[in-house]
Amino acid sequence: MFLTRGVNTFSPEGRLFQVEYAIEAKVGFDGDALKIKEGVVLAVKKRITSPLLEPSSVEKIMEIDEHVGCAMSGLIADARTLVEHARVETQNHRFSYGEPMTVESTTQALCDLALRFGEGDEESMSRPFGVSLLIAGHDENGPSLYYTDPSGTFWQCNGKAIGSGSEGADSSLQEQYNKDLTLQEAETIALSILKQVMEEKVTPNNVDIAKVAPTYHLYTPSEVEAVISSL
Amino acid sequence: MTKQQANWSPYDNNGGTCVAIAGADYCVIAADTRMSTGYSILTRDYSKICKLADKCVMASSGFQADVKALQKVLSARHLIYQHQHNKQMSCPAMGQLLSNTLYYKRFFPYYSFNVLGGLDNEGKGCVYTYDAVGSYERVGYSSQGSGATLITPFLDNQLKSPSPLLLPAKDAVTPLSETEAIDLVKTCFASATERDIYTGDKLEIVVLNADGICREYMELRKD
Repeated sequence: MFLTRGVNTFSPEGRLFQVEYAIEAKVGFDGDALKIKEGVVLAVKKRITSPLLEPSSVEKIMEIDEHVGCAMSGLIADARTLVEHARVETQNHRFSYGEPMTVESTTQALCDLALRFGEGDEESMSRPFGVSLLIAGHDENGPSLYYTDPSGTFWQCNGKAIGSGSEGADSSLQEQYNKDLTLQEAETIALSILKQVMEEKVTPNNVDIAKVAPTYHLYTPSEVEAVISSL
Repeated sequence: MTKQQANWSPYDNNGGTCVAIAGADYCVIAADTRMSTGYSILTRDYSKICKLADKCVMASSGFQADVKALQKVLSARHLIYQHQHNKQMSCPAMGQLLSNTLYYKRFFPYYSFNVLGGLDNEGKGCVYTYDAVGSYERVGYSSQGSGATLITPFLDNQLKSPSPLLLPAKDAVTPLSETEAIDLVKTCFASATERDIYTGDKLEIVVLNADGICREYMELRKD
C-alpha cells in the first residue's frame, strides 16, 4: 500500500483503491427514490448551509431527457459532468433512431464513463467520479429505477436511498415499500424517510421532489408543500 | 488550358424497380430481379431486397454496388444496436438511421433509391420512401427505380386515401387486404415490364406481418 502506483493499477489483493475511496465520497445522507406502478418518485435533501443561500440554485435532481431524471449524491460537480454526458447520449440516440433511449441504456451510457480515468493520455480524467446516482425513468418496459456508483456498476432497484447513513434509510424503505403503492403514498414515504434523518424542519426550500410518471416533473414549491402536509 | 475532365464515373445504374405497400397489419415489399448495365443484362436473378431487422425490409434500386455497401452498413449498425439495447430495431428507428446514413454521404452520395417497409411499434404496416441523400417520409405506398414513373401514377389512382396528394394527410395505410395488395403489386410489375426495358425477368415479393416474413416469386417477361 505504500508503493507508488498509478491510480488505475491493481493492489496485490486485486483492489482498485481509487475506486473504493471514491465510493466512500459521500458527503451526507442525500436522498431516496421509489419505483411504483405509476412511475418513480425521487426526493433529495438540499442542505442549505446559510439563509443567504438561494435554495432554487441548489440542483440535486436533474432532467436527462423528458422520460429520465436523476438524483445525485457525492461530488455534485462530478455529477453534473455525468448528467451532461447522459443528455448528449440520449439526444444522439433520438437523432439517430428517432426514438427515446431506454432507461437501462441511458444508465449504461453514464456508467461507461466511470472507469475512464488514469495517467494514460490528456483526454482521460485523473481520478474516478466521486458520485452515486439514482436514475429514474419510464420507457416501453414501464417505470424503472437504477442505482449507480463510482465503480461503473449499476443495479436496478424498486427503492434505494443514497448518501452516508443510507443503510438506515434503506431498511426503512424496505419496511414501508410494496409494489402496489399509489403515487401519493410513495411521495409521502420518500419524504418521511428524508424527515427521519433531517434535524431541521422539512420545508419546500430544503428538499426537492421529482417524479417520472411517465414524464419527468420537478415539483413546484406548492406541490412540495402539499406532500409535506400529508406527512 | 482547358480544365481536366474525368473520363470515368464512379457510378453506374443497374436499373430495376421497387414497390412497397403498407396495410393495416401487413406490409408488401416487391422488386424485380433484373440487373442491367447500359443496354445489356448482367443477370436475371439478383435480389434487390434485404431484411434489415425482424420487422423491417429494404428494397433499393440504382447502383447495386452502393446498395450492397448501404445494406452492409445498416446490418452492422443493427447488430451493434441489438448488443447495446438488447432489442431489435423498430422500423421507424431503422427509417431514421437510413436517413442519417444517406445524408452522411451528402457530398458523395450512395446512388441508391430506397423504399423501407415493415411494421411499426403498434404492428401497423409502414412504408418509408427516400431520395439518394436521405430525405424521407412515411407513406402508405411508394415506388422507386426505372419503372417508378410508370407505376406511381397507377398506384395513386388505385390507392387514393393514403395518397400524399390528399390533404389533410390521413393515416398512412391502405384499406386493402393482404391478398389484394399482393395482386395489385403483381399487376404493377406486369405493366411496368411491358414498357420499361430495365424491368423484367422475375418479381420477388416479400410480405411482413404479425406471423413473420414470407417470400414469393412471379415470372415476368424476359425481353
